[in-house]
Amino acid sequence: MELADRAVGFILSSISVTIFTYYTFWVIILPFVDKDHFVHNYFLPQEYAILLPVYAGVTLICFLSVFIGYVMLKSKKKKA
Amino acid sequence: MKHIAKIMAFFMAVTAVWISLLQTAMISQSHTWLLPLYFIVSLGCYGLLMVGVGLMQFPTCPQEAVLLQQDVIEAKQFLKHNGVDVGTD
Repeated sequence: MELADRAVGFILSSISVTIFTYYTFWVIILPFVDKDHFVHNYFLPQEYAILLPVYAGVTLICFLSVFIGYVMLKSKKKKA
Repeated sequence: MKHIAKIMAFFMAVTAVWISLLQTAMISQSHTWLLPLYFIVSLGCYGLLMVGVGLMQFPTCPQEAVLLQQDVIEAKQFLKHNGVDVGTD
């Protein structure tokens, strides 16, 4: 099972590096590039650079709250 | 309580630096507005990277696993010999 662990770890690291470079490019480098450079086709419009992380954060908080509420309800039902 | 005070002081310092960057406009204003969000996203990325690297470098110690299994068998035999119920075998 060591190989499965290493594969999952490698996938996680590669996803994090991809997200970091893409987001760095998006937020910091792209505003300095001219408007009709071809690289702008590979990136979504700048508003999404704000919307996507906020949306992901809100989804994460909602999921955590639902999970905590579910666990609390289940423990209360088992006691009663 | 002192730890929280230190964390709050650090947070206040970072906020002061950010507001001063906004006022003096050394970096362009649109960049400065996005800077906190960028740092939060990069912090999440860094955490994910550390988890991935830790997973890749986790040692499994195969010899110790075998020795542990032998210890378990030995302990079960000893306890069964002395009359303690060790459950499923």
